Amino acid sequence: MEIIEHPPILHVPAVPDHILYTWIVMAILAVVAIVATRRLSLVPSGTQNFMEMVLEQFVKEMDETVGPQGRPYLPLIMTLGLFILTSNLMGLVPGLIAATANLNTTAACALIVFVTYHVIGVRKQGFVAYMKHFAGPVPTMLKPLMFVIEIISHCARPLSLSLRLFGNMMAGHILLAIFFFMMGFDGMLGWALSGSLAGIAVGAPSAVLMVVFVVGFLYPLKILVAFIQTFIFCKLAMLYIAGAVEEAEHH
Amino acid sequence: MQRILTMSFMAILAVPGLAWAADAPGSADLAKALAVLAAGLGFGLAAGLCGIGQGRAAGQAVDAMARQPGAIARIQTAMLLGLAFIESLVLFVFVIAVILLFVKS
Repeated sequence: MEIIEHPPILHVPAVPDHILYTWIVMAILAVVAIVATRRLSLVPSGTQNFMEMVLEQFVKEMDETVGPQGRPYLPLIMTLGLFILTSNLMGLVPGLIAATANLNTTAACALIVFVTYHVIGVRKQGFVAYMKHFAGPVPTMLKPLMFVIEIISHCARPLSLSLRLFGNMMAGHILLAIFFFMMGFDGMLGWALSGSLAGIAVGAPSAVLMVVFVVGFLYPLKILVAFIQTFIFCKLAMLYIAGAVEEAEHH
Repeated sequence: MQRILTMSFMAILAVPGLAWAADAPGSADLAKALAVLAAGLGFGLAAGLCGIGQGRAAGQAVDAMARQPGAIARIQTAMLLGLAFIESLVLFVFVIAVILLFVKS
């Protein structure tokens, strides 16, 4: 992997790359937030307009999934969503890496969601009542079995949540790295520039073909994946919170 | 003619990869070779079966959208969630494959 993958252009010694890029994303988001709220006006324009549009999407999704009870948890979901989206998109810039292409970052996000929705569930309906829900609507004899299965399934949630995001971003990163490698001076472009007749005849068209493929197909796909993965992470977090909140309503 | 051209193009495109693979140390160790084989085969299997599953899910979703254009937004959300769940199984295999590629000795 080290042979084909160029190390990120911005690198501070003694600081792991994903932490450095997490800081960069934090800085970007902080600057955008400051710019957007510097001159708040009733008729929004510029950055404020854009951020309000983003916020509206999150609010709409939250209301659809959780209902009015979900509003207090909107800041959490939106922070996670903006952070994940910004780092996903940053991973598409050659020379930068996505902070979410590291399991540590995504596991941190998923664990925050995991702890939060359990805390919400316990606070909304008390510890015993919340625990009872794990047993589910089954005959008394089967309740212990159901309880264990539910605990396992709840523990699998942060695992799948973090691995899904990490796997998507990492796979995209490796794919782009391989295609850039094959396109570059070690691959088709180098062959085309080598001076041999075969290199010019075959290397040059295939280099062009590869550029067209990457720019025309791979990059739109990766941008789509970046948005969809953010959407899925947020939607699942909302669904988990909805599960913890809604259970309180049945009683 | 077209087939030969396609085949030769594919062969040529594979050349840098082959050259890169040939740089590996000469003493091919069995564990490493088997790990690479397992990673490739396992990921291919997972990706193919995921293709079947996602194709079914997307097909049914499009069918439902055609029948009920009013519910497109909600069907789309459900489809995306379902696709994510199917896909996450492949990503588990992807992680395992990457781990397998790091097998030493």
